[in-house]
Amino acid sequence: MRAFAGALASEARKLLALPGIWIAIAIATIGSACITAFNAMTVRSAVEAGDTSSLADTSAFEAGFAAVPIIGVVGAIVIGSLAIGSEYTTDRAEAGGGRQIATTLAATPRRVGLYIAKALNVCALTAALAVVSIPGNYALARELVGDAGVETVTLESGISRAGGAALYWALMALIAFAITGLARSVMVPLTVLIANGSLVSFSLLMRGVTPLADYLPDMAGRNLFGFPPEFTVEGGLAPIPGAIVMACWALGLLLIGGIAFQRRDA
Amino acid sequence: MSRVSWAGPLRAAVAAEVAKLCSLPAAIVCAAASLLVGTAIAGALAWGGSGQSVTPIGAVTAAVPLAQVCVIALGVLPMAHESDGSQLRTSLTAVPGRARFVAAKSVAALLATSVVGVLTVAASFAASLAGWAFGGHVGAPPHQDPDPVVMPLAGAAIYLALIGLFAHTISLLWARLAPALGVSLGLVLLAPPLLGASEHARWLPSRAGELLYTGATDHVLTAGTGAAVLAAWAVAVAATGLCVLRRRDI
Repeated sequence: MRAFAGALASEARKLLALPGIWIAIAIATIGSACITAFNAMTVRSAVEAGDTSSLADTSAFEAGFAAVPIIGVVGAIVIGSLAIGSEYTTDRAEAGGGRQIATTLAATPRRVGLYIAKALNVCALTAALAVVSIPGNYALARELVGDAGVETVTLESGISRAGGAALYWALMALIAFAITGLARSVMVPLTVLIANGSLVSFSLLMRGVTPLADYLPDMAGRNLFGFPPEFTVEGGLAPIPGAIVMACWALGLLLIGGIAFQRRDA
Repeated sequence: MSRVSWAGPLRAAVAAEVAKLCSLPAAIVCAAASLLVGTAIAGALAWGGSGQSVTPIGAVTAAVPLAQVCVIALGVLPMAHESDGSQLRTSLTAVPGRARFVAAKSVAALLATSVVGVLTVAASFAASLAGWAFGGHVGAPPHQDPDPVVMPLAGAAIYLALIGLFAHTISLLWARLAPALGVSLGLVLLAPPLLGASEHARWLPSRAGELLYTGATDHVLTAGTGAAVLAAWAVAVAATGLCVLRRRDI
């Protein structure tokens, strides 16, 4: 137990020492704050000009929440991916293809404990990011929109949507973590998951071919964001069944990734 | 005389860069993935499955935004693999002129993305025709006139080549794989929906370039000027990348 606590602490320190992680944190906080400010000022200027026809609504919550499904998810994917991908990056190829994983395993030989410690750190960091970023965006949007907008989202709905978004971020970060561990490279997961997280989504296209696409990980959890039907593609799994399906994907991939991490040569 | 002294070494440098690129397993994987993604999506959409089928041209244009992800990865690779260890030092020992080095790399990247772009569009169109027939659609698909078929397909191939080149120029600025890929994908895929409400979003590289194949109308840009905007982005970023590389201590 003490060894696991040590692994947890050392992995947290390593995670926070990666420049890429700070870039991901900056993307999810400063990047989404910029998008929020842009949206909120658009709402305010439209209301002041008396022409809100180009806006879906003038809600401060929606203005602050718009970046959450795109920018926030990218931040979570980068955190999950770099947490394990950095171990396999060859910093000095001329020095025997040196990769950090060899040193990590020399210091922490119990691979299962190490893998769990890494996954828990990814979860904790993503959750902390959500706790700071989502309410922060709302506060910023509310400050900028002020009394100009009409709030259409209730407090209960706002809390449940923020919680759903935080869960989606954490599960997506774990999926990115597991896929990167299996691929042992950040290239594939970053490319596939960032592309799929944008509007150019493979899952969204496949939804036109088969309803089974609703069970793909990103599509399953998409209603966790709780957007009104007029703002999103209709249908899909309800938030709770969707969260369960997405969690099953994350756990399944973590299990496969963990077995591979345990059995493969480093 | 000066032309001769530039052309020969540049040709040799381009040949070397093409040979290096062809020897990269990741480049082969990206090219194969582009073809696979394009054909699978175009074929599936034209077939329709349990949903509504899309016309073959529509299926190809719907597959291009996803196939571009593989082409972007391919565009980033020629520079990103140099930063893996000391290869950049070796390459600059062989080709000391950094402008020539960047020019050769960019020509090699453009050649690779052009070939993959053309093959991806051709294979996707063939798959969409097969999917259309497999879906039980009797007779020829719509667009009997050659022009409505050729223009979006040629535009899609040019778009893929240019967007791959644009990603390559970004890797001249951020040579490491993860930042180069992240910035490229962010600018191409994430910036357009996030800035969609703005009047200025049309000047984003992918938003301007996609006019080549979508047939969408824009008040300011046409397919030709959209392609020019995308190419201008690539030239501007490449020039900045060259300035950065010239000053960098390797």
